[in-house]
Amino acid sequence: MNSFLEKLGRRSIRMLTNFGETIAFAARVFRRIFRRKTYTSAMREVLINQIYFTSVQILPVLLLVSIVFGSLLIGIVFTMLKELGLTQYIGHVLMGLIVTELCPLLTVLLITLRSSAAINTEMAVMKVNQEIRTLEMFHIDIMDYLLAPRVMNGIISIVLLSSLFSIVLLASGNLFSWLMLGMSMDVYSKLLLNSTNFSDIWISLFKCAVYGFFITLIPIRFGLRASRELTSIPIVVSQGMVNVFSAIVIIEVLSLILKLL
Amino acid sequence: MDNEQAIHASFNEFLQSHSLHAAPVSADAPLISNQDVYMNIALIKQYHENMPKNEAKKLALEYLERLDLVRIAHKRNSALTAEEKFFVMLLRAAMVREAVLLIDQPLKMIPHLKDFQLVAEALKRIDDLYFHCHIFDYQWMKDKYGGLCP
Repeated sequence: MNSFLEKLGRRSIRMLTNFGETIAFAARVFRRIFRRKTYTSAMREVLINQIYFTSVQILPVLLLVSIVFGSLLIGIVFTMLKELGLTQYIGHVLMGLIVTELCPLLTVLLITLRSSAAINTEMAVMKVNQEIRTLEMFHIDIMDYLLAPRVMNGIISIVLLSSLFSIVLLASGNLFSWLMLGMSMDVYSKLLLNSTNFSDIWISLFKCAVYGFFITLIPIRFGLRASRELTSIPIVVSQGMVNVFSAIVIIEVLSLILKLL
Repeated sequence: MDNEQAIHASFNEFLQSHSLHAAPVSADAPLISNQDVYMNIALIKQYHENMPKNEAKKLALEYLERLDLVRIAHKRNSALTAEEKFFVMLLRAAMVREAVLLIDQPLKMIPHLKDFQLVAEALKRIDDLYFHCHIFDYQWMKDKYGGLCP
């Protein structure tokens, strides 16, 4: 019994320490983002490349997912609302649930699967290959050169891609409302505007920014934990990805609590 | 120096003592693998002097031209020969302002090289880019370097 409690205690302490370290690390990176000196020509080049890899290269997939998944989802939601005689709540369902909750979550999952895993591996490989040490030898601050542009990219990409996802979904909604309910564009727009709670949209955008920050920061942090052994790469990548998913769940729960208050 | 450990210790000591101008050329400071050759060279100016991307690229290409290596400008580390890697590392190091080149066992990085003449020639072609040059190697290798970098 004692040994079980000891194990549990040790695990809890480790988890809390890890959480505390992540928050402290996040605070350091966050400060760097607002420091003018961080934005050197080298950093800006990395930032542009990262935005291209994360936001531009994924566009065809994101558009396909948002059109196919979004249309099916909207179709099912509209059918249900029609059957239940709740068509007057279409706007509330679209804005309150799909646009502010589902779109950011689906976007962040898509980006996490593609970019977070890539960033985690890239950092681990750089550490194993001693490339991080090279940068240090040349007095290149990895916080400015590697971390800040990737984290900035995470914030920008998630906010923009989630907004794009929402726009595509709302366009699908327009089409379905016209096909299924014979609703004109004017009526649909008015319905959406009347059901829009701007504070929810701000919370949603803020949540996207927080998602973007952590789904890039955590993989970097774990990637940098790799040793000089090649075998440490899969270990730090899997640890990093598990932590990213935990962060997504925590952020989602906190945003829901904030919304309920 | 008589053993590998002493060479590394001396190299690291020198690296720290010339902190700002130290420009290492060492197997322990490989090229950044996700960047092209010219980007590896331009990076130093872009980061330390905030030189615009195009200007830094132009400079990198110009220096590659001096060593007849423009053809590899858009290649990455994995596609380079040991010799090419060494010269790119040399150019990257020379981009440090008032560079003090610290070359760690050059003949270990280019094992098939019979003598130092090729490297000496390259150093001569870029001698306006660095302030000093120091070579770290075994004592018994001294003759191979022909007194170029005592």
